[in-house]
Amino acid sequence: MIEVANLRKEFKKTIKEPGLKGSLKSLFHPQSEQVVAVDNISFHVPKGEILGFIGPNGAGKSTVIKMLTGILTPTSGKCTINGQNPVVNRKNYVKEIGVVFGQRTQLWWDLPLRETYGVLKEIYEVDDKSYRERMAFLNETLDLDSFISRPVRTLSLGQRMRADIAASLLHSPKVLFLDEPTIGLDVVVKDNIRRAIEQINSQEQTTVILTTHDLADIEQLADRIVMIDKGKNVFDGSVRTLKSRYGQMRELNFVTESPHPAETLRYREQFHFAEDDVSVECEGTAVKVRFNSAVVPIADMLSYTLQTVQVSDISVKDADIEEIIRRLYMQGVE
Amino acid sequence: MKRRFRIYYPFVNAGMQQVTTYRVDWIFYLLGNVVHSLVSFFIWQAVFLSGSEETLNGFTMPQMIVYFFLIFISDTMITSDASMMIAEEVRDGSIAMRMLRPVGYNATFLFFELGGKLLTQIVLIVPVVIGVEISRFVLSGVVQFSVLNLLLFFVSTILAYLINLFFSICFGFLAFVIKHIWGTNIMKNCIVSFCSGAMVPLSFMPDALKTVFMLLPFASLNYTPVMIYMGVYQGADLLFYFGLQIFWALFFWALSKLLAMVSAKHLTVQGG
Ligand SMILES: Nc1ncnc2c1ncn2[C@@H]1O[C@H](COP(=O)(O)OP(=O)(O)O)[C@@H](O)[C@H]1O
Ligand SMILES: [Mg+2]
Repeated sequence: MIEVANLRKEFKKTIKEPGLKGSLKSLFHPQSEQVVAVDNISFHVPKGEILGFIGPNGAGKSTVIKMLTGILTPTSGKCTINGQNPVVNRKNYVKEIGVVFGQRTQLWWDLPLRETYGVLKEIYEVDDKSYRERMAFLNETLDLDSFISRPVRTLSLGQRMRADIAASLLHSPKVLFLDEPTIGLDVVVKDNIRRAIEQINSQEQTTVILTTHDLADIEQLADRIVMIDKGKNVFDGSVRTLKSRYGQMRELNFVTESPHPAETLRYREQFHFAEDDVSVECEGTAVKVRFNSAVVPIADMLSYTLQTVQVSDISVKDADIEEIIRRLYMQGVE
Repeated sequence: MKRRFRIYYPFVNAGMQQVTTYRVDWIFYLLGNVVHSLVSFFIWQAVFLSGSEETLNGFTMPQMIVYFFLIFISDTMITSDASMMIAEEVRDGSIAMRMLRPVGYNATFLFFELGGKLLTQIVLIVPVVIGVEISRFVLSGVVQFSVLNLLLFFVSTILAYLINLFFSICFGFLAFVIKHIWGTNIMKNCIVSFCSGAMVPLSFMPDALKTVFMLLPFASLNYTPVMIYMGVYQGADLLFYFGLQIFWALFFWALSKLLAMVSAKHLTVQGG
């Protein structure tokens, strides 16, 4: 469905020294440097899959999405979606895809939302019957009714994002690209949006590529993860693989009355943990210890803790994906 | 054709909505143009009256009235903001949103502006033409109004608008090279305004200069439509100047397609 092979994008950045002198200098001798935003990325997405596309800020996610949607021309490499090259036959290609960039809207700022959908209906040549059914469905999942007659510029962020997602789905695209669709939204709206994505994907076999910084999005939606960093592919596999490969981190939670648990317990010295392998957070009487269970077995941690301080209510949790990714982003992946 | 109309009609509608949403802006824009044309008319009237001749460079007083008010209509009609819209969209990256739609890039500008223009024309053309014809009648004592010339004028301004639109789109693609084209755009408008006869009738200029402006696309923008309204061009002349307009429209259309293709490769969509 989506084939990405050795995709690369370089940007020319003009460098300007500060001040008036710098401005004059760059006027007559413009200097520029190459920035490699996307460096040799390859992956494959089969039909009907939801791919979570993640990576720290500036990793190159948006740049990849822009190339896949035909907005940017790759410096080298190839992407083929549904057998089409996005930049070759733009008008035809964009009919088959839906795109949402969370950071900007594709709705007409001054038009009432309802009319925007009317415009899109004509542009994408959706017939009356499908349009009515589609609007009913979108209304129900994204709850558009309460603001559908208002001009887009008066909508709140959450309303606008729901409206944008509905707009991207109106023409039943085969592939849906979502670049940070949940950015800045509250829990309820996020939930709405996730449900809509899930339903569209399961009912219509829509292939979805989703970038996000909210790992709950990934855990609820993604069948697979592609992680990139500094333009390079660093992980490609299922959420489960990610957890088993990098997920030896565990979380030990307990409540204690002892006054300085961190100072008393001194896990690092006791077990010779490396810097990254353990961290302790205390909040009142509650203590949260994150540790690498590959270095010290869970049983040892538990018995040591129970022997050293007076404990009530102790539990051990599987590492959540957020913790794994936090570590990956911080260390970088070799 | 019908399908195309259905696809692009929303853009026409959006253009009209824009005008009605920002009506105060629009009214001031029109008033500004009216004042501008009055000022240039009074300046030339003063020049006219200070001379002792019946005509100024071959223009009688009624002809001057027709010229300066009709050129005001054609100048309003041909104005295109496409270059600034493109430049702005390139700067803030929203050009991406336009590229995500299965519609022709140039056509969206065309139909969007058409919406606003229809409204502007309806509001302007009727009172200006009536006013001009009444004063022409009062001054000369004969009715010289010709419906045919008015219709030909209208067709000619549409061609002129197309020339200017495609030229503006070409110019807008400069924004890919120069990220800020505001200053350059003002200079461009100034040059176009002067060379197309909007400030000074081309017939007032030295013959050599006039010939150059007539053959270059400039005259096709303003001078030609007004000459047609005044009935100066007849028969073969009329066909020649229409032909020239069509030629320039096609020329800039083709050039804008070419530039769109070239600059798509250099597009760096900024932000998010
Ligand atoms: N138009 C541009 N010009 C120059 N550099 C850019 C441009 N767009 C993105 N970049 C650079 O490319 C890198 C990747 O950006 P982006 O794809 O937006 O990252 P992400 O979406 O993963 O946060 C960043 O270092 C960014 O500064
Ligand atoms: Mg991004």
